[in-house]
Amino acid sequence: MIGCYDFCGHYEWTFEWLHQLGGHDLVKAYWDEAIHQDSQIHASSLIREKGIEGMKEYWGPTLADEGAVYERTVTDKVFRIDMHECPSKGFLLRNGLHQFSDYCDHCMGWIGPLMKEAGFVIDHEHNHRGQCWWEMRAISDPTPASAPGEFSGKHDVRHMPEWKSDSTDHYERATDSDDKTVLP
Amino acid sequence: MDTTSTPLPYSDTKPIGHADFYFATQATFRFIFERFGIEGLRNYWRDLGARYYRPVSLRWQEQGMAGIAQYWQAFFAAEPGAEVLVHDTADEVRLEVRTCPAIHHLREHGREIIPCFCQHCFFVSEAIGAPAGITVRIEGGNGRCVQRFLRADKTLAPQNLEDIATAS
Repeated sequence: MIGCYDFCGHYEWTFEWLHQLGGHDLVKAYWDEAIHQDSQIHASSLIREKGIEGMKEYWGPTLADEGAVYERTVTDKVFRIDMHECPSKGFLLRNGLHQFSDYCDHCMGWIGPLMKEAGFVIDHEHNHRGQCWWEMRAISDPTPASAPGEFSGKHDVRHMPEWKSDSTDHYERATDSDDKTVLP
Repeated sequence: MDTTSTPLPYSDTKPIGHADFYFATQATFRFIFERFGIEGLRNYWRDLGARYYRPVSLRWQEQGMAGIAQYWQAFFAAEPGAEVLVHDTADEVRLEVRTCPAIHHLREHGREIIPCFCQHCFFVSEAIGAPAGITVRIEGGNGRCVQRFLRADKTLAPQNLEDIATAS
């Protein structure tokens, strides 16, 4: 049987298996069709129906069950997550599992299309070491991403010493995993 | 990877996995099946067993039936909602799956289950066991089954896939 205890391991392995079979487009289709439209249909319907309230309802229990260390900062206009210890990337790092070029892309790979469908855009950055931040706003809201500390204060992951890495992947008002800028 | 200190090749900070990941596992099966058919899906299961689970194969090679029994005991202890008895003799390890945690969780959440879901246990375990000279025979499925891990022997009848129940 394939279990859920080490799910992140075989999930990451699967990205590379698909990449070797059908390249980048197949991996992107997998994140959208299998994860966003099938596995995570409960998240899709909550967020489509309730917007930011739905994000609170989905990510609250899910991140707790996964064992994430994170902070959530929410208003009626923005939903922000500061991920201090990503349970999923952390599992891979601790177990020395690395098959696919950038595991962290999978989050934007399924959350991006979901947010697009629900009428939101995403500002996001990940450092490939288990830390990231996200801000979701309605597409009609032109407010740019907050500066470090401006919105989530002391909880802003960008203040943590662990945040610094060789490079981070940066997204602005994005819903597509390819729409990233690599920052040194 | 040290294959002797713990029965499981990968460890997490929490003792039990997150059951919603079963949604993604079966969505993966459905995605591959719809794109590449049943043979494509079986190839995925075989590759997963032979490559991702290579540390498990090594442990089975080194420790034989005792290692197989310890692996499954630790495996099901980390799967939420699993009710499985592991019977261990010198010649065979037999899993009596009374509640399959994946089928249980998918049903509990009203998910449509891909009919060939239970076949993954055969193809993945067969690929894990092959380098260790171990083969598996499964009877039942769709929530309850018996899985027998045996030494590969040419006189043994091959797995009849019709003995593995269609999931629903």
